[in-house]
Amino acid sequence: MRIRRYAVPVIVSLAAVVLAGGVVAAGFDWSTRSEELPDALREAQPVQVADIPSADGLAARGVFAQLTATGLLCISDAPLDDPQTGGGGCNPADDPLGGEPLSASLSYEGGPAIRTVRDARLIGLASTDVASVRVLMSDGSSRTVKLRRWTDAPRPLQAYGFRLRKSDLKKGIGPVAVIAFGANGTEVGRQTTGIG
Amino acid sequence: MRKVVPLLALACALVWASTALAVTGYAGPRFWYAGDAGASSYQSGWRTNDFNKPSSGYDTTVTFIDNVSYGWHATIRNRDMVTHTYWPSSQVKKAYCKAHSGGHWGGCYAN
Repeated sequence: MRIRRYAVPVIVSLAAVVLAGGVVAAGFDWSTRSEELPDALREAQPVQVADIPSADGLAARGVFAQLTATGLLCISDAPLDDPQTGGGGCNPADDPLGGEPLSASLSYEGGPAIRTVRDARLIGLASTDVASVRVLMSDGSSRTVKLRRWTDAPRPLQAYGFRLRKSDLKKGIGPVAVIAFGANGTEVGRQTTGIG
Repeated sequence: MRKVVPLLALACALVWASTALAVTGYAGPRFWYAGDAGASSYQSGWRTNDFNKPSSGYDTTVTFIDNVSYGWHATIRNRDMVTHTYWPSSQVKKAYCKAHSGGHWGGCYAN
């Protein structure tokens, strides 16, 4: 009788744990970052590193950096009053540019057809060797991006935020690449991108 | 007391299980080729969507697609090791991920 009293809760508990473990195992990838990232982003303090100015009736936003306890440096594009609700990307903190002179993350609302996109923005980081950044558009024109030095970065870096013009999107003109130039005007890096 | 112990044990196990169930892998982990895509089921509870890769340099997109207009929301495209988005809408939606460059391992996760 005593055995039965303790056996039932133990068996029930074990069954629940095994069930949960099985589901978790199916959802895990090899890196286990799938479970860790949401918690790590909730806990990491966001620091604003660049601006996305208001334009075309759309509110200003910020480019925020978060150094997570899991060793990632995450850059996101988020509302100024709610910096933990943005989207972007994460790289190892000791290699935030992934070995390139710049990173580029495109965010947009609407689509996938360009003409139905209501707001599109580009954010990213650049090494201090980068003198200027331009966005190459699908019609062959380009747009200048303002770089801002990120003074409190774990290593010397620059950051940028850029909002695409609504008039371009309405014409079906979207970004195709973000290009970094050195001090002498030569191209030093390029990240292809695009809507859809 | 006899009834409290098993109920408490069950409650603890279920709380742990619900926490563990928070993140769902909906595509992969597997090897991705250029143009490959994956999607979750439609749910109102999805908030975050991540494409995790073993390293940076691979062009990927994550987004949410609603079940009314089938428009894309909070779309993010980049070459980072983790491509991450967040859409705090209660609308019914599915998480969607796409590999543009391909030639890499990775998995897509919604929460």
